[in-house]
Amino acid sequence: MVASELNVCELADAELVRRIGSGSAREAEAELVRRMVPRVRLYGLRHLRDQQAADDLTQQVLITLLEALRAGRLRDPEKLVSFVLGTCRMMVLDQRRGTQRKQRLLEQFGADLLAPAQSFLPQLDYGQLRRCMQNLKERERAVVLMTIYDEQTSTDVARFLSVSESNVRVIRHRAIHQLRDCMGVVA
Amino acid sequence: MNCSAPIDPAVLADYWLAALTEAEQESVEQHLFTCDDCGARLRETVAMAEGIRNIAQDGTLLMVVSDAFLKRAAEQGVRIREYCPPNGGSVECTVRAEDDLLVGRLESDLRGAKRIDLRICDPGGVERFRLPDIPFDPSAGSIAFQQSITYSKAAPSETIVARLVSMDDSGGERLLGEYTFHHRRTLPGPGAW
Repeated sequence: MVASELNVCELADAELVRRIGSGSAREAEAELVRRMVPRVRLYGLRHLRDQQAADDLTQQVLITLLEALRAGRLRDPEKLVSFVLGTCRMMVLDQRRGTQRKQRLLEQFGADLLAPAQSFLPQLDYGQLRRCMQNLKERERAVVLMTIYDEQTSTDVARFLSVSESNVRVIRHRAIHQLRDCMGVVA
Repeated sequence: MNCSAPIDPAVLADYWLAALTEAEQESVEQHLFTCDDCGARLRETVAMAEGIRNIAQDGTLLMVVSDAFLKRAAEQGVRIREYCPPNGGSVECTVRAEDDLLVGRLESDLRGAKRIDLRICDPGGVERFRLPDIPFDPSAGSIAFQQSITYSKAAPSETIVARLVSMDDSGGERLLGEYTFHHRRTLPGPGAW
């Protein structure tokens, strides 16, 4: 089956880019946005640590992406990831500088299309997670808490535990795997 | 999951915690922008990290905590009740409804210890449970442990004895400190279990 006969859901990212660049392709745009929203949002959460800021970033990046694709500015569709990643990095810097994006762009591209997903993170059984945390060895739990809650660097944790930084990494990895196993998460 | 080269969940956790090198981070991000399976795995990791943050603040775990942990909790608005009985001595203690964390600080000279266990005993010296190989800073001069706030708010008046013991390679114990906590119940509830 040739690409032109495939449903947009079955197309590769690069093919969606080609369709968008070739003219009216609302379905291809919607599909590309559907795929990119969770990816950009995760990137935003990782770098901005704020759900609202991540949502804002997602909208800004996708607006910029659609603008570029409609205008045919992404010449090599295979470079889509590099383009999106580069845009994400630039916009994270913009957000950190407090830059506000313009509402007219949202209106132009449609707020509904770019609306963030409501349930982005999976639901957890907190009671089970508490039991899993309690079941960790003391040093494993300490490393997990010092890293995730105290937000200390591996250097600080290593100094506190009188172990090497690579040892801290080993302990942390072991603890993460144990927690996932205990939570019944598929590897 | 259909990813042919899935990223180790622990590496995803490192990515989330900003514990990767720049090159490793670049590689992970390139992958995440093409792989929704690993994206889903990262979301599980993020949810777990968020859950751990919540659990850290709800005071329900029994564990040794660092000063950095207590500082962070205080900055987050967590209300901490801390008791510091002298080594060999005792303290009258309680917990109130508005308390979020209950902490016992055990002062002792920790220098030279390779491994320390925390033993929680009844007044007769019978061990109720033990936290083996607890994390400690040898130069700190104290260890802080968190008692479950849920347990403490429900527990009747009782006395517990905390013992810090240094363990040697052959399993021998050396007492570093003994601390008695006379817990007096101030919240309504049963007088005994």
